[in-house]
Amino acid sequence: MKRAISFFIAVFLFAFMSRVYSQDLTGDDIVKKVNDLINVEAAYMKAKMTITTTSGAKRTFIYKSWSKDKGEKALMRYLEPSRVKGQAILMLNNADDIWMYFPRTGRVRKLATHAKKQKMMDSDFSYEDMGSGETFIEDFNAKRLKDDKYKGEDCYKVELIRKKDADVSYSRLIMWVRKSDFVPLLIEYYDENNPEILIKRLYQENIRVVDGIPTAFKIIMKNEIGNSSTEIELIEVKYDIQISDGMFTERSLKK
Amino acid sequence: MKRLALLIFLPTVFIFAQNGPDIFGYFETQMMGANPSGNYYTVHSNKLRFDISSQVSEKVSFAANFDYINYFGKKDWNILEFLPNRISSEIPDSIKPYFILPFSDRSFLDNAYIKVAFKNFDLTIGKQQISLGTGYTWNPTDVFNIKDVLDPTYEQPGHNAIRVDIPLFERVTFTGLLSPEDQWKNYGKMALIKFGISHFDFSLIGIEKIWTFDNFMTFTQSVEKRKLIGGSFAGELFGMGIWGEFAQNYMEKSKDFYEAVLGFDYTFDCQLYMMVEFYRNTLGKDSKDEYNLNDFMRYYLSEQKAVCRDQAYILLNYPLTALLNAGLISIVSITDKSIAIVPNFNYSLSDNAELMGYFNLNVGKEESVFTKEQGNGFLIRLRYFF
Repeated sequence: MKRAISFFIAVFLFAFMSRVYSQDLTGDDIVKKVNDLINVEAAYMKAKMTITTTSGAKRTFIYKSWSKDKGEKALMRYLEPSRVKGQAILMLNNADDIWMYFPRTGRVRKLATHAKKQKMMDSDFSYEDMGSGETFIEDFNAKRLKDDKYKGEDCYKVELIRKKDADVSYSRLIMWVRKSDFVPLLIEYYDENNPEILIKRLYQENIRVVDGIPTAFKIIMKNEIGNSSTEIELIEVKYDIQISDGMFTERSLKK
Repeated sequence: MKRLALLIFLPTVFIFAQNGPDIFGYFETQMMGANPSGNYYTVHSNKLRFDISSQVSEKVSFAANFDYINYFGKKDWNILEFLPNRISSEIPDSIKPYFILPFSDRSFLDNAYIKVAFKNFDLTIGKQQISLGTGYTWNPTDVFNIKDVLDPTYEQPGHNAIRVDIPLFERVTFTGLLSPEDQWKNYGKMALIKFGISHFDFSLIGIEKIWTFDNFMTFTQSVEKRKLIGGSFAGELFGMGIWGEFAQNYMEKSKDFYEAVLGFDYTFDCQLYMMVEFYRNTLGKDSKDEYNLNDFMRYYLSEQKAVCRDQAYILLNYPLTALLNAGLISIVSITDKSIAIVPNFNYSLSDNAELMGYFNLNVGKEESVFTKEQGNGFLIRLRYFF
């Protein structure tokens, strides 16, 4: 009987503390946890990106990517289709330095940071959306909104408002962050000049734990204005890996 | 003999390849048209390019490509029809037949090289792409290639070379290159050091190379040694991309000259991309009255990069849809205030097929670089990658 009472008290305390803890989290705390989750120490991924245009036409790309130092360094190399095979992008200093390699001409081109606004392979993702880095923390102020449910999951709802002078393409974001693991299940992106106009929605689905890290195996960016969408499906993911710094050099870019 | 060597060489590489050769390439069919001097010409071409690459071992890789191009339609173009009347009218009738530019069917090994990745350096031997400089349309430091201003991203021909790339420190690389000629003293030699400071990349370069160009007034060929020292940079300033190149050329016989490029680009929030590049070449003339036959012929035959001294390239590009990009290029001769306007598009037909095209409208005054006398032109190109 005593054991049953002790167990009941322990469960109650845990639930109570969890609730207190979750209520104590500020918007900044939640965004920091999201930031820590998405910026893993090292990662290797192979992914398929499918663009569905407004007319319904589809374009598919397969690429591999490597990142290190919580996304501060990243390399992306296209495998398919043949049209872009071998093209590679190197991003250093949280994508403040970008180089692009074109194998047919053997040319490496350094891009300025404004190139982050360009659509990646004409998809609904800009390079800015793809780069991880610290943008949620550095470029936005977070404000916790009333908790919400998304697809039956308890979520923190957080509004991120662009900081003054931050060079990002969105005036604000709204995030639904799953309470159980801090995975942002849905992110809404609002127009740079008009914070009332919703322009894109990002959905994270099929979440599985890989090397202890919850990972969305399906990511969909839906353009709410143009009615196009881009789906990224992970084919392979590894976090528990050693990647040398030599991977993030111009020499490696040309391989 | 060359074909025999290729037939023996390629299977050997494939047999020893660890992962098997990777074969890919593209088929390109295009139509190019022009209406000089009131005439209307079109030439069509089909190009088949086979690329082969193979990881022979962990450190050794091999890559090659073979191109076949055939032409049909108007295969002999009279270059005199594209020249200002003042120049073409001075050419005696007896030598006019020599100014016919033939589009001849060709098959050739464009690139074929082996790359060995040692622990501390890479060694590349064979016919390979050499891309120097940061300029988009013009590259003063690149003595190996001259880009087509109407199509500057088209692949350049391969060059025979022995190249070594040595990473020295973080963001510091030394590149040495030898380009074989008939005698050692004529070998092309290049030393380049590339380094990064903050958000900028810099390079310093020294090149010695034989330069061959034709005199179309006397039909003689001049060969002389060219020594180049120069440098380039690429980075960002006030949110805009910025790059530049400079090359001082010391000539063995003719007059020394310099070339310089300065470029800027920016992507607006609405996805509109804008680029401006300025180019100065003191080999070019600073007045249209000085343009002569050699200037135009060497420019058309890619022996020199410009007829006039100062030019600008302005590019606007906008993605109309996920599949269709539209652009507008203006190529401006600042020297004679003439301009070529080049509306263009690129449409993705499928994952591996694309259609591109441009029209070039010359709107300059008589005798200028982009004179109306040249007429207008167009190019439509369909490419399927496999």
